[in-house]
Amino acid sequence: MINIQEFISYLSNQDFTLSSGVPCSYFKDLFINLEKNPDIYYIPATREDEAVGIATGYYLGDGKKCFLIMQNSGLANIGDALTSLAQLYKIPLLLFVSYRGLKPDNDFPEHSIMGEVTESVLDAYKVPYWNLGEINWIKTLEAAISKMEKTSLPVCLLVEKGVLSE
Amino acid sequence: MKGAEVISKLNNVLSGEELIVSSNGNVSRQAFHLLPQPQLYLRGSMGLPVPVGLGLALALPGKDIIVLTGDGNFLMGLSSIATVAFLKPMNLKIIILDNELYSTTGGQETVSSNVGYLELVLGMGIQNINSIDSIEKEDVIEKILSDTIKDPGLQVLHIKVEEDTINLGNIPWHPVEIKERFLKQLDI
Repeated sequence: MINIQEFISYLSNQDFTLSSGVPCSYFKDLFINLEKNPDIYYIPATREDEAVGIATGYYLGDGKKCFLIMQNSGLANIGDALTSLAQLYKIPLLLFVSYRGLKPDNDFPEHSIMGEVTESVLDAYKVPYWNLGEINWIKTLEAAISKMEKTSLPVCLLVEKGVLSE
Repeated sequence: MKGAEVISKLNNVLSGEELIVSSNGNVSRQAFHLLPQPQLYLRGSMGLPVPVGLGLALALPGKDIIVLTGDGNFLMGLSSIATVAFLKPMNLKIIILDNELYSTTGGQETVSSNVGYLELVLGMGIQNINSIDSIEKEDVIEKILSDTIKDPGLQVLHIKVEEDTINLGNIPWHPVEIKERFLKQLDI
């Protein structure tokens, strides 16, 4: 598991000041630490596409960076928010998406189909993505943030079980 | 009164310092043609004008943010009113133009006619909600619009309007141009 405090500090040092989204148990420890962090304001959203809307408005207001947290089921909810808002208006966004539906989720059929199509969905939306590993996570984040800034577009980090929570 | 007529009345009471987020379709087109430019005209993302306005309001606490939305759009993103109520940004003013129709796509019926907006928004936790009929209140609508945007705190105004019969032209700016003009005005 990534050291969560180091992870949040890294994002804070990269000038991320706002976060929003809908939780996943894969991010439980991240949320516990995010609540304690005064430098990043987290807004609980009712839907993942709402979080994209909030982040878009926030970025257009003061040019500051936002990251969003969601389950891959949420990827299905943000299709229009991505393609007709964030991508269309060129809004940089860092998406942390839990990769449900892989082996540890064998007992959770509700995730199985989205698990199979997650990467195809991201390809279809033309959202660049990386797998966030426990080792070299800083390098991965650097690459994703650099791409996000260079293109002024949303990018995605897929997060498997155990990487950002026990 | 028609939605466009209400937007023209709104134009009379703006100070010019407000930032306006308009919902996709006719409302954005009317905002483009009838209000000072530039504003944040949404061209897609139906259901999201309220969260976009919320994000702007949080980023710019010193600016008044007005969200102009139709009823179909508002109802699609309805849960965002709960998020707004939870955060209560003092500088956010939401105006719902309710013609009970999906006007942009040819006037198909929405489910708005049964909705009690006053009770709904109050129930979500927002005290400053006013729900009016534009025909009954035609004489005082300018005053009501002015109060909504000038009274302190989070405000929601729901207005029953008649169907617009004339559709104004499309917005000639690409969304990236909308964004750039909007940011330039903010001097970011």
